[in-house]
Amino acid sequence: MTGNAIVEGKESFDSVKPKFSDLLAAPNIRERWEKVRRYFFLRESTYDMTNRCNIRCDGCYYYEGDKQFASENLNTEDWRNLMRTEKKRGITYVVLAGAEPSLVPELLKVCYEEMPLGSIATNGFKKIPESVGYKIHISVWGNDETSRRVRRAKNLLKKQIENYQGDERAVFVYTFTRENIDEVEEVASELIADDCKLTFNVFSSPVGYNGPLRHDETSLLRTRKKMIELLNRYPKNVLFSVYNAVAHTHKKGLHDLYNCSYPRCNPSQDIGLGRSFRQYRTDLNWDRSVACCVPDTDCPDCRHYAAGSAVVTARLYRHVNDADTFKSWLDYVDTYLAVWVMGYEKGENLCRKIIEPPQVR
Amino acid sequence: MPEKRDMEGIIRHVTEVIIGELKLEDITVGTFNPDMDLVDELGIDSMDLATIALVLQDEYKITIDEDDYPKLKTVRLIAEYIEEKLTGKN
Repeated sequence: MTGNAIVEGKESFDSVKPKFSDLLAAPNIRERWEKVRRYFFLRESTYDMTNRCNIRCDGCYYYEGDKQFASENLNTEDWRNLMRTEKKRGITYVVLAGAEPSLVPELLKVCYEEMPLGSIATNGFKKIPESVGYKIHISVWGNDETSRRVRRAKNLLKKQIENYQGDERAVFVYTFTRENIDEVEEVASELIADDCKLTFNVFSSPVGYNGPLRHDETSLLRTRKKMIELLNRYPKNVLFSVYNAVAHTHKKGLHDLYNCSYPRCNPSQDIGLGRSFRQYRTDLNWDRSVACCVPDTDCPDCRHYAAGSAVVTARLYRHVNDADTFKSWLDYVDTYLAVWVMGYEKGENLCRKIIEPPQVR
Repeated sequence: MPEKRDMEGIIRHVTEVIIGELKLEDITVGTFNPDMDLVDELGIDSMDLATIALVLQDEYKITIDEDDYPKLKTVRLIAEYIEEKLTGKN
């Protein structure tokens, strides 16, 4: 048994639950805790940069909902002012996304000049200038045949690798759909042969989407198995942990497992994401009622890697009930930082066991 | 367990924990205003607060519920929360 015992309806601080200081007593755990906590200052917001994209993918969340109809603001000084205002508001990390940020490199440069920590979500078809020193997440949805069919893009993986091979900013993000689980073998093999870094995402349906990419319980379990196989096979190149695999392929989505704290799902403005997070559209406005890192995603189906990076990480408190759960949380945070922060090097995972996400008491 | 469990002692100890955990260099226990808003004025966030709560839980052998974090906006409010828990236990 782990956790607080419920004795006659009242919680007691029992001897089964370890003290936090006991969890930190092992030198390797203390070291990892000190390594990750240096980044607790990160406060994110996300920004749609343009409503244009050079490819069109099935199941793209950007082209759902109202945000795609916002007008574009391409004025670099407006973006500079926005970044300065964001900094004053306490934001320390920007995620530049939708629809395709590589189409507006001048805006990316301005953001980077004002806010040095961040990442860009791109399809990788057009290379982002090296002067923009953010992490770059290149979305991969399968092999070239699948990309041609689902994304209407020819030779996409080849082009992505050409653009970003050897680029320390780059992390290739393989999105598992219900249809492409086995294809990851050949894609991973190609990426690893070119010494690229790889992490995993799980397709999370936009609101109303019931197409063939949507996962079911069986495909989620197959995905989990494949993720762990590849993690074990390519530990240097695959930025992931067993707990990442568990959290993102659980039959319950992230919201049910961890209580998503993005404003869209969280009315509280007291502290954390509910207080500071905003999702700006291309016209530089934002709407609290839809603000999250993947707007217009169906919340019960959300297993998105970006959402998990904030939502799982924020639940430190729930992961201190036993050593393996805490180690799993540390692996998750270590992975998230390696994927999202330039210069952060992932350590060896501390827990290889499958640990069930802690339930809300 | 910290020695002094009266309100003044708890305030002092909570302040020490916050200064230590957040590695605040410009503030001392003597200059720390116990009514300062930790989020608005000191800029702490949920992860900092969770860390502080876990350390205080250990030291006072109490449980600080995750849902109560938003209430813990100042050192004085944290101290009052701890005192209530200790009194409830006794």
